[in-house]
Amino acid sequence: MDQFNYAAEQLGFWGNLARFYQSGVFVYGTTLLILYALLALLSFLAIRAYMRKNDFVHYENMLGSPLTPGISVLAPAYNEGLSIIQNVRSLLTLNYPRFEIVLINDGSTDNSLGQMIAEFELVLVDYAYTVKIRSQRIRGVYKSRNPAYSRLLVIDKVNGKSKADATNAGINVASYDYFVCTDVDCILDKDTLLKLIKPVIEEPKKRVIATGATLRAANSCDIEEGVVTRMRPPKSLLPRFQEVEYIRAFILGKMGWSYLNCVPNVSGGLGLFDKEIAIKAGGYDAQSFGEDMELMTRMCRFAYDNHVAYAIRYIPETLCWTEVPSTVKIFMRQRTRWARGLAQLMFAHRGMMFNPRYGKFGWIVMPYNFFFELIAPLVELTGIIYYLVQICRGTINTDYALILLCFVYLYSVMITTISILWDQMVLRSYKTTKEVMLLCLTPFLEFLLYHPINVLFSIRGYYYFLTGKKHSWGNMQRRGFGNKPVAKNVAV
Amino acid sequence: MWQDFNSYLLEYPSLDAAIYYFINLPLVIQIACVFIVIAFLATLFAYGSILVRRFKGGRRDRRMSVIIPRIDTLLTEHIILNEGLSENIPIDQIQLPLEEFRIPLLRSRFGKQMLIDRIVSYKKSFTGSIGALLRQLYLELELDKVSFKKMKSPKWNRKVQGMIELTDMDMSISDVNILPLTNSKNRELRAEARNAYIKLSKNEPFKFFDIVTEPLLMWDQIELFKTITTTEEISIPNFARWVTYSSNKSIVSFCLKLIVHYNQQDAAPAVMRLLENKDHVLRANAINCLGKLRYEEAEDKLVSIYSNQPLNCQIEILKALGRIDTGGHVLFLRQEFLHSSDFDIRKNAAKSLIKTTGVSQDLIRELIDTGTAENKLILKHCMNPLIKF
Amino acid sequence: MRNILIIDDNDIVQLVLKKILAKEGYSVDIAINGKEGLARIGQQPYDLIITDLMMPYANGFEIISKIRQHPMGKDTPIIIISAITNEDSVLEGFKLGANDYLKKPITGRELIIRVKRLIDAQVSRAENI
Repeated sequence: MDQFNYAAEQLGFWGNLARFYQSGVFVYGTTLLILYALLALLSFLAIRAYMRKNDFVHYENMLGSPLTPGISVLAPAYNEGLSIIQNVRSLLTLNYPRFEIVLINDGSTDNSLGQMIAEFELVLVDYAYTVKIRSQRIRGVYKSRNPAYSRLLVIDKVNGKSKADATNAGINVASYDYFVCTDVDCILDKDTLLKLIKPVIEEPKKRVIATGATLRAANSCDIEEGVVTRMRPPKSLLPRFQEVEYIRAFILGKMGWSYLNCVPNVSGGLGLFDKEIAIKAGGYDAQSFGEDMELMTRMCRFAYDNHVAYAIRYIPETLCWTEVPSTVKIFMRQRTRWARGLAQLMFAHRGMMFNPRYGKFGWIVMPYNFFFELIAPLVELTGIIYYLVQICRGTINTDYALILLCFVYLYSVMITTISILWDQMVLRSYKTTKEVMLLCLTPFLEFLLYHPINVLFSIRGYYYFLTGKKHSWGNMQRRGFGNKPVAKNVAV
Repeated sequence: MWQDFNSYLLEYPSLDAAIYYFINLPLVIQIACVFIVIAFLATLFAYGSILVRRFKGGRRDRRMSVIIPRIDTLLTEHIILNEGLSENIPIDQIQLPLEEFRIPLLRSRFGKQMLIDRIVSYKKSFTGSIGALLRQLYLELELDKVSFKKMKSPKWNRKVQGMIELTDMDMSISDVNILPLTNSKNRELRAEARNAYIKLSKNEPFKFFDIVTEPLLMWDQIELFKTITTTEEISIPNFARWVTYSSNKSIVSFCLKLIVHYNQQDAAPAVMRLLENKDHVLRANAINCLGKLRYEEAEDKLVSIYSNQPLNCQIEILKALGRIDTGGHVLFLRQEFLHSSDFDIRKNAAKSLIKTTGVSQDLIRELIDTGTAENKLILKHCMNPLIKF
Repeated sequence: MRNILIIDDNDIVQLVLKKILAKEGYSVDIAINGKEGLARIGQQPYDLIITDLMMPYANGFEIISKIRQHPMGKDTPIIIISAITNEDSVLEGFKLGANDYLKKPITGRELIIRVKRLIDAQVSRAENI
């Protein structure tokens, strides 16, 4: 002990700080790596269990049964112009016996509403509903005169400046006990509703309050009138990085957490929710930048506070394709927003951290998200600066530093490649093996190119959170899946 | 670093140098080096697995693209278009050209499985005489033995696979093979075994309702419902028995749904007794059942217990009154519509009012004219045929 | 020779229905989805249309509605064959103008009888005009 104190004195304040910092980073890094390995293992078990169970499932029994629960599909839309008709039409083809499509026209300034009224023979109806969650005013509710479109309900409302507000309006009007939240330009697999509801109705002891599935980039896929006819990894670099990231986050991350019932977030791109719990938890928060995760946290909090044994389940199958940002500018806006949302969320629900009242959520989910999602970019950035400084001062063994760097690099490549392998276990995605192998090369560049800009944009998001800067949503300037013939792929 | 290593190399042979060098590295770096090797190997292994998986998958696809059309041709030629069928010869007397099916392509395990899968798919779309002939083919080609063999497998999902194939083909499985599986630790296996037993047992298919203690999940109910309502020679008991005596709430709830489906009016008194039950979810289910049965004798009782019920039961009572539709409680409905503070109560009261055939149009018009803005909206909403709920 | 159009994305249904009906002497065309079905209706008149409900690109209800609005399809008898069997869907089918609704699994003989009945009725209607 004396020796230790003597050495500590010798180092002085900065020396000790440096040592503390180094040990901290070391412990941090090691824990993170172990966690990833653990997630890889758990997700393998979860995927294998799922594949075995669903090998012989008779979905057609659900199609013909009067007992199948009803689902409301909520799709907020803002200035989708080009593709709204096709998107709504493809939503109407979902394979399910009892569902409705609630399309929320969030005060679009283009002619989306007019187009829909004409195409689907809509008329304004007197619709009575209670406001269970606050949202901007609903101007009108439309139903179709044509029985072919009897499942469609269109809401026209005042723009609420957020998807959360639009979805809340949809929840107010939805008739069924479960709702699916999706973006109107997401392309859904035709069995999406069947597959998403299955975990809910087969969970033995708990109440499933949300289910999610894998999302993928639609950027280079062949899409014909709202149906993905051929899956292809994105050709451009930025979307390709995102595709790999999604595979890792969903197949490895979320499936692994699902095995432990510690899923932190069900993506806003596609998720099924228990309407009663969502309403009682207060609905989506229109002020939040990460409204999907924020609602999830609040629903879990509500469940704990009210002693509801809950579960959130994930399905490894890819049920949704969405167009991911292909320019750095739009990507930056998205990631800044996500980081800001995460910071907001952590701050708002800091009372749950390590709180025994919140069980697994307080002891596993919140700490994980705080240490390994929220402050990870900060640790990385300070770590890089620290090491650069040390290298300049010559006080570091550059060879050792290189070995460590090499280790982290290869490790991340390994984890990503494993997630691609797990994904191939679920479905032999992509048509040619060449495409898959080329995708496997992406992690090599990811660490050097994609990861750093992600870190930077996250920090930008935290900065905005701290300074309270106003966020401009902008429009994602969708290229639209359009009506291009299949021969030409959607240009990326 | 290389200088250090070189200094070792000068002293020792290269392998020893590497080992000594390694041992003298800091622990962290040692671990890092080991893990670099592990990560490298694991990544190579992952590539290999991906390639193998894709190759196998591709090969399977190619084989299927050859086998399936062949099977389809055989099935359509010899089963669908079978001469014996159109001449109305009894199924067991039809001579099936089995040699046509005993080709090398269908002799392998893969081929046999493809054949079974395809026959099952055909049988799912077509029943009646075609279905019976498909079953005959399945038996005569001894494919049932293949399915039975699966039931002997130690893996639970193979067992389930075998059972499903046999039940889809309407094969009977002896009790001694199914009953042990109904107590299996694996939930899916238990559920499927129960399902199979109900479909295929000659004795007492519903005795499970007496003994199952775990809750019947919604998924199981959907499967069981399908099995019960589509199996042809099953004798349907009066489900009131379990409504009265079962202590398993999910069984009671399931039986209520079956009572509605089979319109068992004589089960209604037993359902009425459930109205005294302490569980409000079960009460709500019972009220719903009475409404769908359109059991008129229940109306008065429902109205009398209304004021003591929680919200969900009250809403069910209002819906039931609308379905039973005797017109005897129009004033009650009107009362609830005008004076309740809860929106859902008013909406359901309005709906039932409008649905009641005896109600005069004058009453409705009066309510619209004198009602508040919100009540007007509710009435218009309920009267609009385009809106379902 | 009477023409029948089958609109279904299930390969077994396509194959078997075609064989059964061809054996009865009908000429059968297959469309694998609603879009193709509508295109075919525009090309030649059919005496009967058999359609499924859950198909990609456009659901069966919309297809039936569009067939009824098409000048060459507005009087053609339509039979729906589907695994979806709930009352609402059946009623919806009839409201849109379908003449018959068969729930899967179907029997070959019943199908033939219903097809024959609808086509004969249509033919005699045409002759009486």
